[in-house]
Amino acid sequence: MTTSIAATIRERVARIETMPSIPAIFIPLLELLNLPVERVKLDEVVKLVSYDNTIAAQCLRVASSPLFGLAKSPESIKGAVISLGLRKVETILLTCCLSNAFPAKSWALDPTLFWRHSLGCAMVCRKFSDKLGGGDGDKAYMAGLLHDIGLLVSCIAFPKELTAAFALANQEQTPIEEAERTTMGFTHCETGRALAEKWHLANDMLQVIAHHHAPEQSEGAQPLVALVHLSDLLCRMRGMGYGYYERRRVDWVADPAWAILQKEHRNLDGIDLVRFTFEMDEAIEEVFGLVSTIFGGTAARN
Amino acid sequence: MITGMQIATTMPSPSKGGGPVDPVFRQIRDLVYKVCGIFQLEEKLYLMADACGRRMKQLGVHSPREYWDLLTVHSSRDAEIRQLLNEVTIGETCLFRSPPQLDALRKVILPELVEDKSKQIVKRLRIWSAGCSTGEESYTLAMNMLEESDRLLKGWTVEILATDLNDRSVETAKAGIYGDYALRSTTDYFKRKYFSPIDEKKLQVRPEVKKLITFSRLNLQDDSRMLFMKGMDLIFCCNVLIYFDGPSKAKVIDHYYTNLNLGGYFFLGTSESLFKLNDKFHLIHFPGTIAYWKPSLKSGKL
Repeated sequence: MTTSIAATIRERVARIETMPSIPAIFIPLLELLNLPVERVKLDEVVKLVSYDNTIAAQCLRVASSPLFGLAKSPESIKGAVISLGLRKVETILLTCCLSNAFPAKSWALDPTLFWRHSLGCAMVCRKFSDKLGGGDGDKAYMAGLLHDIGLLVSCIAFPKELTAAFALANQEQTPIEEAERTTMGFTHCETGRALAEKWHLANDMLQVIAHHHAPEQSEGAQPLVALVHLSDLLCRMRGMGYGYYERRRVDWVADPAWAILQKEHRNLDGIDLVRFTFEMDEAIEEVFGLVSTIFGGTAARN
Repeated sequence: MITGMQIATTMPSPSKGGGPVDPVFRQIRDLVYKVCGIFQLEEKLYLMADACGRRMKQLGVHSPREYWDLLTVHSSRDAEIRQLLNEVTIGETCLFRSPPQLDALRKVILPELVEDKSKQIVKRLRIWSAGCSTGEESYTLAMNMLEESDRLLKGWTVEILATDLNDRSVETAKAGIYGDYALRSTTDYFKRKYFSPIDEKKLQVRPEVKKLITFSRLNLQDDSRMLFMKGMDLIFCCNVLIYFDGPSKAKVIDHYYTNLNLGGYFFLGTSESLFKLNDKFHLIHFPGTIAYWKPSLKSGKL
């Protein structure tokens, strides 16, 4: 990317008034999520959420959905934490937070598809991280949830350009990042990076957002970036992509990301990838249910 | 309450959307995956439960736990697992059974193969439908190849070899006569273009489709004959190897690897896995489906 494009992106991200401002409780929540669960105080979470009624209400709606199978709908965040567990409630809260930061009006992509992909990727990242062991499943979840945030930035900062990129991707059935490069000269990785810098996100999240299509280029947190990269590909191959057929083949083991993960996790080759894929298929309904509970509406699978 | 009593059946097989599935069926699902490599998704676990229910009825076994014992500790367990498999895969065969496989074939694989082989003097594709049963898969492949004959495959010769162990299946396959059930996924477009009606209920495949296929009897465990099945670009072997024990399965797959040209693909059924049976094939994801690939020279990953 040339310096002039980088400057344009930074300028637009800084200037545009509708640019999402970081929800007040987002960063503190993220920090809580980074703590070991036994060190998180329930009262702190409850207090944080009480600052934002919209998010609290949304969280309760999700917690009451049939998805979580509670016999009785929780009436408070505290009640939800007791019946669902802290981690689940935290991830619901973060998802609600993010969706409120980017109100869905005239997006270049269907918001339902975007959140299905992001939540799906988050879930796959956590499952993958759990399979590898020794990693931090919650951090992986967060990374999956945030990886494509640049697409939201581009929706707002470069709406016409991103619309053209999606039109090309749909028509040629090529990956969106390739179409962005053709039509715009840069991708959601760069716009996402600008937002991550503006929000002062931790370096590992920034690396994920900026390099999830080329993990070998990331500076630091390479195994996490590689994990998100592979999970992203798997989602796109298993019905949680961007709503169109991507004419491509994915060879996980030959991907540079695989070699990066292999260095970190000796047991990688012992994972039954086909079974992992089947298990992931099972989680799809859960993701679709979660997204329709949060946002309503329906969108085509792909 | 009386109504409730009447609904209750003696078979503990929950129907779709019914009550929770007995955990034993999940155990059976895992056992079948371990022994046969075929996986039943959680949402389809009721099918496994139904299949077990039918076997239990035939055997006069009353509880799922008792049936589990038959599958694990009893001396006839291998035979029983095969009996159960017959129930699980019953009635699954039809034309156009796996649209994602056909999409991968036409949108990704064919363009790749055609490009790879474009410099060869003889433009020929060889496809093997191994374990073709009554011909549904073979004809589906043939029709899809014919659809490409004016486009991608212009000037190419396509040969489809279709083999099965069972003489009667081979004879039925040669006749190419199908009823509504086998044609339930076939669109009117294909029915009109490639079939002729023989009576009110049945359609027969037209000669121009049959011309592409050679049907014959072949035992996949006949090593000397397997050696002659050379020069394949694609092998389809769906829901056949699940009936083989581990070592026989590994041997057949080794043959397939040898039978394939460099850069060729091998497809299993949509719920099957090759895990731990062969590490020379690359697992490749396409949208909605997976295949195994014999690396080509130019990939540099032999």
